[in-house]
Amino acid sequence: MYIRATGNISPQKTFGHPPFLSEPVEYSGNRLACIEPDYKGLIDAKLIRRMSRIIRMGVAAAMECLQEAGVTKPDAIVTGTAYGCMEDTGLFLTRMVEFNEELLTPTAFIQSTHNTIGAQIGLLLQCNNYNNAFVHRGFSFESALLDGMMLLKEKEATNVLVGAIDEITNISHAILNRMGLYKQGQVSNGELFKTIGIGTKGTIAGEGASFFLLANEPSATDYAKLEGLKTFYKPQGIEEIEAHISSFLAAQSIGLDEIDLIITGKNGDAKSDEIFAQLQHRIFSRSNLVNYKNLCGEYPTATAFALWLAANIIKSETMPTVLEYTGPKEKPIKRILIYDHYQSVHHSLLLISAC
Amino acid sequence: MLDLKTQIIAQLNLQDLKPEDIANDQPLFVEGLGLDSIDALELIVLLQQSYKIKLSNADDGPKVFRSVRTMAEYITAHQAQNV
Repeated sequence: MYIRATGNISPQKTFGHPPFLSEPVEYSGNRLACIEPDYKGLIDAKLIRRMSRIIRMGVAAAMECLQEAGVTKPDAIVTGTAYGCMEDTGLFLTRMVEFNEELLTPTAFIQSTHNTIGAQIGLLLQCNNYNNAFVHRGFSFESALLDGMMLLKEKEATNVLVGAIDEITNISHAILNRMGLYKQGQVSNGELFKTIGIGTKGTIAGEGASFFLLANEPSATDYAKLEGLKTFYKPQGIEEIEAHISSFLAAQSIGLDEIDLIITGKNGDAKSDEIFAQLQHRIFSRSNLVNYKNLCGEYPTATAFALWLAANIIKSETMPTVLEYTGPKEKPIKRILIYDHYQSVHHSLLLISAC
Repeated sequence: MLDLKTQIIAQLNLQDLKPEDIANDQPLFVEGLGLDSIDALELIVLLQQSYKIKLSNADDGPKVFRSVRTMAEYITAHQAQNV
């Protein structure tokens, strides 16, 4: 199956298909916030007023993706989100406390559900086709993607809009920060894998809305071919992780030496990155590796940003300098493996190749 | 009525409107401001939260929420009753 179009709102300049990561954005602090477009030209003003930030981001990214694909009504809309619409959830819960569980306003409650974004896209498009939302923590995007791939494979659909959306709000950032997920002190995303990031606890918070139009027939403007996806849960050790990687590649009938680039989910947290460090000394020792979470931060559906990144590397045949790629510059990148994990629990492998 | 208009704008997140954009007798629903049933619930909550007025009879809704003026009259009448 093929990635025909993408739409992405992230902490980088990605919306509206600007030159591919040519102006990386640096942040100080442990929280990366999405760069949002002006929604007025994208979403009906009457609908915008009820949409929280994440709903606007999701809907706008989906619209951009559909517009690029020239699709007005996809055969299916599948979304993945771990946190859902946190802002509305926070608002609703805060009001429950403030008003002693009485006089609760309906809008925040209605919009707080995890399927709101997929539903809003369906409503906007007046699309009554298959519409599903996956809420599987660190597997949310992968589950949505797998659903989309199966719909295409089983010929239930000819094109599927698949996306991932997660936001960080003041409330969720404060809670996750208190739980020790993020780095303390002076932090900058540009330095995440350099001096300040090495060997210290925590990562940087991120968020994003990434959408993909998948189709089972090729077209002249496709980004890449989506070859395979695999998830695995709580592996016991590095040997088990290596076994999963090997079996995944074997299922695709390729070896590691046929992969031009591996995008890894290194996030700056010493414990989390230990897995990547070990692999780099073992089965990835001869591979070209790049990391991406300095661009979008860490969040449960960050793999969607990695897929957007990989698709754009293949389509544009360029490697943004911000990725600090050390492999041979003259060699075209035709096949990319994404290996990511969220908090060492949810692991995923994605393989894409040039069409 | 200016305060009420400000409260309605805040409660319903009518971002592009200012209080002076809403006429006192302008219909709030459908052809006027274009509010819908979810907004009606928000307005009921507004009455309860800000004025401690509970709309006891649902059939009164269309009459009470016809315009800012009818809302204001309803609030004034009920506040007088509560004194």
